[in-house]
Amino acid sequence: MSLLELQNVHAAYGSARVLHGVSLKVEKGERVALIGRNGVGKTTVVNTCIGAARLTSGKVSFMTRVQKPIRAFRAARSGISIVPQGRRIVPGLTVRENLLLGSAPDRKGPWNLEAVFAMYPILRERADGLGTAMSGGQQQMLAIGRALMANPDLLILDEPSEGLAPVVVDELGASLVRLAEQGTAILLIEQNFGLIRSVGDRYYVMAKGSVVEDGRLSALTAEELKRHVSV
Amino acid sequence: MLIQILNGLVYAGLLYIVSVGLVLIFGLRRVVNFAHGGFYMVGAYAGYTAAMVFGFWGGLIVAVLVLGLIGILLDYVVFRPLQNADHMVTVLVTFGILLVFEDVVQMIWGADTLSVLAPYPFDGTVQLGDILFPVYRLLVIAVAIAVALGLTLWLRFSRAGLYVRASSVDALTTGMQGVDTEKLSLSVVGLGTALAGLSGVIASPLLALSPSMGSSILIESFIVVVTGGLGSFAGAFIAALLIGQVHNLGIVYVPNVASMLPLLLMVVVLILKPTGFARSYS
Repeated sequence: MSLLELQNVHAAYGSARVLHGVSLKVEKGERVALIGRNGVGKTTVVNTCIGAARLTSGKVSFMTRVQKPIRAFRAARSGISIVPQGRRIVPGLTVRENLLLGSAPDRKGPWNLEAVFAMYPILRERADGLGTAMSGGQQQMLAIGRALMANPDLLILDEPSEGLAPVVVDELGASLVRLAEQGTAILLIEQNFGLIRSVGDRYYVMAKGSVVEDGRLSALTAEELKRHVSV
Repeated sequence: MLIQILNGLVYAGLLYIVSVGLVLIFGLRRVVNFAHGGFYMVGAYAGYTAAMVFGFWGGLIVAVLVLGLIGILLDYVVFRPLQNADHMVTVLVTFGILLVFEDVVQMIWGADTLSVLAPYPFDGTVQLGDILFPVYRLLVIAVAIAVALGLTLWLRFSRAGLYVRASSVDALTTGMQGVDTEKLSLSVVGLGTALAGLSGVIASPLLALSPSMGSSILIESFIVVVTGGLGSFAGAFIAALLIGQVHNLGIVYVPNVASMLPLLLMVVVLILKPTGFARSYS
């Protein structure tokens, strides 16, 4: 079953058209990388799924159900959690409150406050401090933990390695692989070559607002992959 | 002096209940709601009329419910369609609504002032040291404290309160966590206008009811909201306490400049601390 499917999606910010006929899908349990250079529209794919970019034509489906109109809350309620670019930790809320914000009372599964604390112990230590007061890497853990609190079937991560030290990126990659092995599908929007390699299985390449190539990451040489993601 | 401080607390209580409604609505909708003074005024008149049938307390419940419904309607037909419009458009629309409310109230109840008696058993006085003080005024202070406590507990410890705090800061991220922020806004705007209605009803035994009563309190409520820090519930509480005292002591001791004092206080606070008393969204 397709957890997320975009069919010939055109999208815009105001009058600025960004996506020109994007089609992609993520099936249950898959690990998909959406790659491409800066400014090709990768984040707009996510923003279209939550209504932050305007869908001008085409279809967006969550769990095979076409979304019309697209509203931010419907993705999470359909089992699709998003770790947005820049993490978007909510200011003024503690680490614990940021995590609780992500919990969906009507979705059952293994993820709860204790499970997230077990995965990222630093979040337990900082539970009563402000989420925005943590380091970039810790905030990334918090953003992932918050997304997991909804027990998602699909986790979308938009540039999770942005601004992180290489050792933190390695830890992040390992935790994403563990999640995928537990059955959570992953759509990774990323430019970090190593992270894409360690987490991804299938890929889509975007250029100028369209998907121009797709296939298995194992079929790509290191040079080809670098060419697709270089700035 | 004790009497002046207590009267200052009474006015602070009314200001707080009106202002906290403004804070709620501003947080969720980013709307500077000029119609809020109108809700306060309509609340007072609705309570006055309903009290003829149901008594004061029944009238209070009816007015709060009616104002809550009007707020939900306002969110649905005004705030939601205008959420992507220029802020000035929304400000002008809400100002227009205030003017319409004033005219409608004048058409129905007339331009003459109306008065409401304090309800039994709060219609007497109580001895406080050497002075006699109206019990009803103490009740107004108690209601304001109850509203402040109730809101604080709700915002701090309930799931809905968490959603409101989060959505006040970042509605998109809150929505991405599965929270229907449109529905949330609908209920929060309803709560904000219901609070304005509550304030109007409990103010009615203290003030003469007139179609312009909303405009009068609106200015000082905005001063409370801005001085407290836009979107800050704790800031609104502190600012209301301070402005209530400044307003009241000013009337007694420097009546010629009393109306300027809250504005001066706001200017001084904003110069010293541009974000107001409290950090935003505390």
